[in-house]
Amino acid sequence: MSHHDVIVVGTGLAGLTAAVRLAEGGARVLVLAKGVGATHLGAGTVDVLGYAPERVERPAEALAALIDERPEHPYALVGAGGVTAAVDWFKARIAAGPLGPYQYVGGVDENLLLPTAVGVARPSAVVPETMAGGDLRAEAAICVVGFRALKDFHPTLAADTLGRQGVSARGLELDLAPEGRADANALAFARAFDDPAFRAEVSGQLLRRLGVEERAAFPAMLGHADPHRVWSELEERLGRPVFEVPTLPPSVPGMRVHASLRGELRRNGGRVILNTVVTGAEQSSGRVTELRTRVGLREERRGADWVVLATGGIASGGIELDSRWRARETALDLPVAGVPEAGEERFRPGYFDDHPMGRAGVAVDAELRPVDARGERLYENVLVAGASLAGAEPWREKSGDGLSLSTGYRAAELVLGASEPAGSAAGVAEG
Amino acid sequence: MLVIGGGATGAGVAWDAALRGFDVILIDRADLAEGTSGRFHGLLHSGGRYVVKDALAAEECVAENAILRRVIPDCIEDTGGLFVTTPDDDPAYGDRFLEGCRAAELPVEEIGVAEALRREPRLNSRIQRAFAVPDASIDAWKTVWSFARGASEHGARILPYHSAIALHREGHAVTGARVRNELTGEELDIEAGFTINAAGAWAAQIATMAGIEGVGVVPGKGIMIAMNHRLVNTVINRCTMPADGDILVPIRTVSVIGTTDIRSADPDELPVTQAEVDQMLDDGERLVPGFREARALRVWAGARPLFQDEKAEQVADTRDISRTHAVVDHRERDGVDGLLTMSGGKLTTLRLMAEDIVDAMCKQLGTERACQTRDVRPPGNEDGEGYSLGSRLRRREQTLQDEQLICECELIGRSRLEQAMRRRGSANLDDIRRSMRLGMGPCQGGFCIYRATGILHGVGRLDGAEAADSLSGFLQERWKGVWPILYGDQLRQARLDDWIFQGLLDVEHLPEAEEVA
Amino acid sequence: MAFRAEHHDVLGDLMRGSLDHCVKCTICETYCPVSNVTPLFPGPKYVGPQAERFRVDDEPSADASLDYCSGCGVCTQVCPQGVHIAEINTQARARLKATQGVKLRDRLIARPTLTGRLGTPVAPIANWSLQNRMVRLLVEKAIGIHQKAPVPRFAGRTFQGWARRRSARAGPRRVAYFHGCGTNYYEPRLGEMTVELLEHNGLSVEVPKKQDCCGLPLQSNGLFDDARGYVHRLAARLAPYARDGVDIVATSTSCSLMLKREALEILDMADDPDLQAVAASTFDICEYLLMLHERGELKADFQPISETVIYHAPCQQQGHGIGKPALDLLALVPELETIETGAVCCGVAGTYGLKREKYDIAMKVGAGLFAEIADAAPDRSVCDSETCRWYIEAATGVRSVHPVEMLHRASGLSASW
Repeated sequence: MSHHDVIVVGTGLAGLTAAVRLAEGGARVLVLAKGVGATHLGAGTVDVLGYAPERVERPAEALAALIDERPEHPYALVGAGGVTAAVDWFKARIAAGPLGPYQYVGGVDENLLLPTAVGVARPSAVVPETMAGGDLRAEAAICVVGFRALKDFHPTLAADTLGRQGVSARGLELDLAPEGRADANALAFARAFDDPAFRAEVSGQLLRRLGVEERAAFPAMLGHADPHRVWSELEERLGRPVFEVPTLPPSVPGMRVHASLRGELRRNGGRVILNTVVTGAEQSSGRVTELRTRVGLREERRGADWVVLATGGIASGGIELDSRWRARETALDLPVAGVPEAGEERFRPGYFDDHPMGRAGVAVDAELRPVDARGERLYENVLVAGASLAGAEPWREKSGDGLSLSTGYRAAELVLGASEPAGSAAGVAEG
Repeated sequence: MLVIGGGATGAGVAWDAALRGFDVILIDRADLAEGTSGRFHGLLHSGGRYVVKDALAAEECVAENAILRRVIPDCIEDTGGLFVTTPDDDPAYGDRFLEGCRAAELPVEEIGVAEALRREPRLNSRIQRAFAVPDASIDAWKTVWSFARGASEHGARILPYHSAIALHREGHAVTGARVRNELTGEELDIEAGFTINAAGAWAAQIATMAGIEGVGVVPGKGIMIAMNHRLVNTVINRCTMPADGDILVPIRTVSVIGTTDIRSADPDELPVTQAEVDQMLDDGERLVPGFREARALRVWAGARPLFQDEKAEQVADTRDISRTHAVVDHRERDGVDGLLTMSGGKLTTLRLMAEDIVDAMCKQLGTERACQTRDVRPPGNEDGEGYSLGSRLRRREQTLQDEQLICECELIGRSRLEQAMRRRGSANLDDIRRSMRLGMGPCQGGFCIYRATGILHGVGRLDGAEAADSLSGFLQERWKGVWPILYGDQLRQARLDDWIFQGLLDVEHLPEAEEVA
Repeated sequence: MAFRAEHHDVLGDLMRGSLDHCVKCTICETYCPVSNVTPLFPGPKYVGPQAERFRVDDEPSADASLDYCSGCGVCTQVCPQGVHIAEINTQARARLKATQGVKLRDRLIARPTLTGRLGTPVAPIANWSLQNRMVRLLVEKAIGIHQKAPVPRFAGRTFQGWARRRSARAGPRRVAYFHGCGTNYYEPRLGEMTVELLEHNGLSVEVPKKQDCCGLPLQSNGLFDDARGYVHRLAARLAPYARDGVDIVATSTSCSLMLKREALEILDMADDPDLQAVAASTFDICEYLLMLHERGELKADFQPISETVIYHAPCQQQGHGIGKPALDLLALVPELETIETGAVCCGVAGTYGLKREKYDIAMKVGAGLFAEIADAAPDRSVCDSETCRWYIEAATGVRSVHPVEMLHRASGLSASW
């Protein structure tokens, strides 16, 4: 049976962050995961705090206030300082990674305002260099460029909405597609943009149609293998700021993050095994000694000194709610906090209502160890990070990446024994 | 003549009457088939459900089942049906069932349990008896539109989004109605020599407009849950006296478990309760073990129009009210000419209901015109081959490289969407969506709704504010059908959709939506 | 979730039921090596959980495009929701073949023991013919094997023959060797090296007699009943060893995956008691050697090999869910530099790349890998699956070997190459 210093369960942003930090810290890391996680689905930005519930301009400040008001929020586990440290680390890793000089810009002090694919102004703290040019706090007009073969991005709709928010914007559609396909997704286009000939065609067509003062918005597909080159070349050719707008999955910027972190993990000797589900653990004296896993119908065991659980919560089946409304954390059967009692409402009838189930997750103490209903630590050597944590509705707050990144980073730091406990001293009980 | 109500009943009446040469106007306050017809489980009854308790209803089903297969074959999938005796049922009922089938001339065959399990491997292996009958599943929306289109090809005018706000009386006759165009707000008067009230669960409200009281329609609320894929490919019925949750219907890509039967006050207020959901899941588990682990897609409620004339006796259980239909002749009952109300009935007998009420109308008018609907096929049934589940998949093979797939779950291509937009000039995105079931597959619109909204906006059919409204409206409407069954895989999907709509697109902060939320 | 023991139709619950987990996220499509190079294949999400909702056993299969799936299994690997996409596709393909019928070509290439038995006695002529352009052109026209598809050379002898003639070294630590058709008819030397390496490490190696095909090519080509027959017979052959507590090792990573997982999941054979016993005791050879190493039982005093090699993990190797033990083993050899490829699939996917209508697609799939190898200009490439090795070697001109060959040499057991 294999043995590793640390087993990280999950390959989303939290899992990969923890794994890379641990591996570069010298630990022998094995990552087990059901699949490749959710980085391919998000915007590819690092959203720290967008709404609390009003729109946030200065995330670090707002974070501190949030933690004061709501000590059960998972940000309390890391504090503004913890987020800053994780963000700095992330930016350095990406810049030094296989896609360099592609890099992230921004920080936790100020949010940018970036347009979404329907044209809403969305606050975001740390973004790829390829997106920063879209900051709506700048006044310049925008030409939103779409492609007929890309059904996942509608330029005139985005432009229309921007217009209703006081931004001067218009949309136009190009009829260019990789291999002339009628239906191509963002990844197929991203590969096409890697080809200089395709870029030349796009630039050629656009130069005739772009206005003097307009910056150019593209769907987020400016290059898969070399986004820095694609983006800077387009800016040069078109002679104006060019920026990407995140749209429906597959998220090319998200895939870039994944590829970068996987590359860094490989470089530091970490191993990844996919198609594996953790089904339980052997334990002794408050420590997990082995994880029981399953690949298809086949059961295996793997030993470890430490376990970082970053299984993604409800969205990925890390936490499941069955038809009798019982919640279960599926890897280690950890208690799930924040689930209403039987017979109580779990969800409310309005889609944008506050839903009681929204913040359910695993409760942990100040050192990310899972706790029971009385706040007692369940395992010494298991840490929980990412979307499985109780206490937040990240899709509403626009805080998912920040939470995953900072808690994944903190989990690694704790295991490496490198940092003091941060954030509020109070243990995190049920939400 | 004026037909009030554009569900199965009204569309059937319009078709029948138009074929007989009447000049028909049909109105509905919303889109066609938006009421009960759009919310039923899709079962084309063989009649087996009624053979023991309601022989007349059974005989009607037997006859109409055969006729509909002949005239609207492409709206029907020949799934076949099984009546099974579950461990909770009395095996002796099976004998009464067989007798009843024979009496009603319903083709039935008792097959062995092993054979039943071979045909349907997901069935409860502890069933004791199984009977095969000619149940089928029927696409109500397609049926209604087929008849409506047929009627309009024969000169009828079909007016969705026109609600009746008053009925005109001249003396003791109904001579037409005042209607309001819900899209424009405009009001107009329709003169009609005869009016047929085919408003189903809302029929009493219409009758009241003619000054007629006490036409009792009991809205019998029934909830149904669509499961994400076809757990069975044959209609499964419990072989027992009609009860809740005793039917599992494979229809298109889903299987629907139904239904409950709860007397309601208002056909527009049909809340889905947790108790009902639990009951349906348990009922499903009885037929298909592991049901509760399967993915529930959507839950909704419809109101059966059960006729209970207050002038007749009160009946306790709505299920004891006869399921067959009745023409309420207001000349006899209330001394009012020129108005007939259709009460009760089920979708399986829509053609017969239409025939009966148009016959009654002819009688009152003193004319003799023969019904032709037994033999004439309305448009949309030219293939004559019956619906097959794989048809969309097969069709898509031909356009794999040429056409963008907008709704991937339901295999709806871009040209089909654009065609629907062109054909239904007055319709909004909601109607088009509903009619094509866009966003009603497993992803619950996570991908296709943004695409469809973008396309419609792009071709100028929606402006930005309308697009924003439509997007938010969709999210709310979808949520309504999902939150009572949000567990397991569907909850995972909902989370992903939250990430897409809120996290990625941030629709909550759309300029229009902010005013609404 | 308990697995239902009853045999039902080809579309078994466990795999098909997993379609409910699909949230349409598109991740599988981003990894599919085939749909990324050709629009003829609509992609794993489309063909698997999506189209499966439109399939009814009674109706003839509606979508022939499903046949472009190469069966590489990467989609199942990467799906974050645990949909058994590749398994659903393979099962649906069997339904498709039941509708369409299976070509003679596919029946032939799905039976490597048959072709092996026919070709071995006449190996020189057989090999000459299969390398002859005219013959290959005729074969392409006649039955549809692409004229350029690399086919292996018959060795003219069998590994079983060698095994029967050798005197086995007895000992307390026993292991059984499942060699597979590839080793038997085309690469008997690899089998010999494997036995020598295991014996070198103190194991007593038994080679069970009359090992036949594992059934994988039959399964890939939709011939499920035939495949089940082969699996059942092979499992019966190997089960006595498993029940005796003897581990079973295999050098063909695809064949061992068949016994470990695929036959149970795709062919619905999880209730076959022999197969259950065998599956629990079967190991990929690198997996096994690494296990020995972790227990301190591997002679890791390797001689240096001053070479650069590039290692490609075949998709079927990834299907084991064991990581890349070959890399860990090669890392123990002094001075050996091992580059890990980023490629997901070489393109051949067993019998897929041999077919006339699929060869070009397969070559496009592998193009990235071949370019990587060309750029790295290694001394050789290393890969755990024989069909991949033959394919990669033909496409790159760089010799391709099994990891065992490297370890055999580093153990001082072979002369220079």
